[in-house]
Amino acid sequence: MLGTDAFASLAEAAAAALGVPHLRLVAVPHPLGGIDPKLARAKADDAVDRVIAALTRDPAPPALTSATPTTIARAPADIDLFQDFALTEGWSDGMPVLPPTAERVERILGALAARRAEVIATLAPRRGVATLETIAANLALAGALPEHLPVVVAAIRALADPRFNLNAIQTTTHPCTPLLIVNGPIVRYLAINAGANALGQGHRANAVIGRAVRLTLQNIGGARPGREDRATLGHPGKYSYCLAENEAESPWAPLHVERGFGATESCVTVCGSEAPHNVNDHGSTSAEALLFAIAGTAATTGSNDVYLGGEPLVVLGPEHARTFADSGWSKADVKRAIWERARVRLDRFSPENRQRFGVIDPERFRGRLLAEDVALCASPDDLMVIVAGGPGKHSAIIPTFGATRSVTVTIGD
Amino acid sequence: MSRVDVLSPLGATTGEVKPSARRGGSLAGLRVGILDNSKPNAEVLLGRVAELLVERAGAGPVTVWRKPGASRPATVIAEVVAGSDVVLTGSAD
Repeated sequence: MLGTDAFASLAEAAAAALGVPHLRLVAVPHPLGGIDPKLARAKADDAVDRVIAALTRDPAPPALTSATPTTIARAPADIDLFQDFALTEGWSDGMPVLPPTAERVERILGALAARRAEVIATLAPRRGVATLETIAANLALAGALPEHLPVVVAAIRALADPRFNLNAIQTTTHPCTPLLIVNGPIVRYLAINAGANALGQGHRANAVIGRAVRLTLQNIGGARPGREDRATLGHPGKYSYCLAENEAESPWAPLHVERGFGATESCVTVCGSEAPHNVNDHGSTSAEALLFAIAGTAATTGSNDVYLGGEPLVVLGPEHARTFADSGWSKADVKRAIWERARVRLDRFSPENRQRFGVIDPERFRGRLLAEDVALCASPDDLMVIVAGGPGKHSAIIPTFGATRSVTVTIGD
Repeated sequence: MSRVDVLSPLGATTGEVKPSARRGGSLAGLRVGILDNSKPNAEVLLGRVAELLVERAGAGPVTVWRKPGASRPATVIAEVVAGSDVVLTGSAD
């Protein structure tokens, strides 16, 4: 396996997870992309002796370490000292965490304690085994409560669905992280915020559910920043990224009903999402007018969706949603109009990127005129539209990683 | 300092370790497969290494498989394995 030195930790983690820790990685100096091909060739010349050695000599047998890390650890009881401990162990996200004592984990499991060893999913890239108990330990770290466990468990199931492409989302240089959208009666029961500041701070359920999912992915999934998680910049949603849809103020059917679930079935949808891009429109009073700002914000050149597909998400604030509905538009009308209008002209991409996209998606990018344009995603049905937020004339576009599909699951007991 | 027992939030891994393929000490006549992950300059790096394996170590022939983007798993693994004795591939960037 060849790769650059900067990414060696990811390569080694991937090899270990796939059961081949002895696979020889021959590293060349970073970067490889974006340099003159002559320099890339020179790096190959420097590396070939090591490649020949790797391919002709048997590797040393892997060190006999246990694949199972310590289940119980002795940690400082002092809450401030516990933070240093958790950071050293790699359990923390940098914000304060609470000790996952047996007592706290038992309380979180509650009636599910009898099923503690049940495997919910195996999480990439580490192929970590997410049992109910280990997930509960991550809820304990996050300060979540027993009533939050079913939502987190459902989200983990959804994230492990192959369509989501968790391995890529966890390890990419792209900033994406799972956004959780909750629908159904559980929203009110758990007081998950769908209104003012829905993507911000202040509501416990949003904060701890989102955080518990992120810690589970970091800890069980084995995606640690700068090591297996290669995000160049990341975004603040990697602390917690969870909201409910504002079904009460939506003029249309909510997301889960759109996807075939019953209105009274509580569901969570996971999306591999960037940070939100705001759409500020205080002037428009009709659907056609509002389209300018929404489509204009969505038609960006820096997104993955434009060349990798995926499902860009439009989060309409209730006032903007009302503007569309008052013009007689259905949600499908909104999707079609945005999809038709939010086009990116090919001359807005650099020649090198046009060439690169032409390899990845020849049908859409190769042999086209510069004045032609491309849509944000394959079809209007690939746009997701939800209503969330409080009073005010703002909406948001949330692009995705592209090579990922959102997954909606019911929230079980 | 007083201590408390805590449950590790990491959990177990599936833990399998596969045996490594035995090396024969020489690459003479071995078929070289390249799995190009489409990252920029991947084909340059892997291609040049393969060229040198042929020139210096007597390997060959070289076959290139390419996956259309780095973000999804390759669908051609079985084909690559069947058509190669050694495989060069890239990880990440």
